[in-house]
Amino acid sequence: MIAVSMIIGTVFIFILMTKLNARFSTPLLLPVLTATILIIILLKSFSLSYDSYMTGAKWIDAMLGPAVVSMAYPLYTQRTIIKQNLFSILTSVVVAMLSGLVSIIIFAKLLNLSNDYILSLLPKSITTPVAMQISGAIGGFPSLTAVFVIIAGLTGALLGPFIFKLCRIEKSVSRGISMGSASHGFGVSKLTEYGEKTLSMGSVSMTLSAIIGAFICPIFALFFQ
Amino acid sequence: MKKYVRIVLQICILYLFSLLGSFIVQILHIKFPGSIVGLLLLLGCLHLKIIPVNIIKDGAGFLLGLLALFFVPSTVGVINYPELLSLNGILLVFSVIISTLLTIILTGRICQYLENRKLGEEDANDRG
Repeated sequence: MIAVSMIIGTVFIFILMTKLNARFSTPLLLPVLTATILIIILLKSFSLSYDSYMTGAKWIDAMLGPAVVSMAYPLYTQRTIIKQNLFSILTSVVVAMLSGLVSIIIFAKLLNLSNDYILSLLPKSITTPVAMQISGAIGGFPSLTAVFVIIAGLTGALLGPFIFKLCRIEKSVSRGISMGSASHGFGVSKLTEYGEKTLSMGSVSMTLSAIIGAFICPIFALFFQ
Repeated sequence: MKKYVRIVLQICILYLFSLLGSFIVQILHIKFPGSIVGLLLLLGCLHLKIIPVNIIKDGAGFLLGLLALFFVPSTVGVINYPELLSLNGILLVFSVIISTLLTIILTGRICQYLENRKLGEEDANDRG
């Protein structure tokens, strides 16, 4: 009974938050963010544990795997644009992955974080579903990773346009790729205002970054296990 | 009605790929997300025309449209990490922000350099 109400509750709250976000369009009202906060408040006020929440919510969680597999579809339909820009896309996505990894490891070491925290931080620039799966595979905490991924995404969505101006990043390809490979889906959704080409470069590099990250993150993880 | 049945069947196909990916990762004992193996397998099948795009198109579109919903259960898991609200947690959040900004700047500049060089070469070829 609890399980079913957790499923229905989560879906209902998510739909409600999506509607709210549609009314006031700002990255700060992102449905994942508001739905998560609301659910945590509700669980706390009814003194329910995360484990009892997951008895139902695990069925929603189970859809992550097939959802990640689904990303093959947009990648396949955009194969022409990938072929046209193969070299710059691949180089930039790898550069983004490495610079994200190296910089966050330096910060983590400065903050004296434990290894399981570092492992949870490594996939932060990758789209949430894949990042959580990588985190689980290398021994991090997927829930913690999801939070870091959301922060990385919000950073790009909120500050990206300002950074583009400040650092004179003006080409549609470079805007799309840098946003897609540093701030995944949240950042990419912000690219709609720069036109179709920037947007599709963004979503392509987001997916490629997820695939490349799945290979690179476990290598970096070896140093922290 | 027919449309919903089709979407459900297509999701089953995608689920099979995801299971197959996890299974492969398990028997090989490698630290790699199984769903990415599933993604690569599906991409390979689409590319080699083993699977026509039409039999996964609607299911994939449906799942991707609801992507954010699927990770809500995991993000709620942060409830078990109240230490994020400490000073160290806040510094950690700042680190993620700065690391992300550095990544955008570096990647954007390098990509722009590569693009300009490509355009330069094409110009030279046109003139030559």
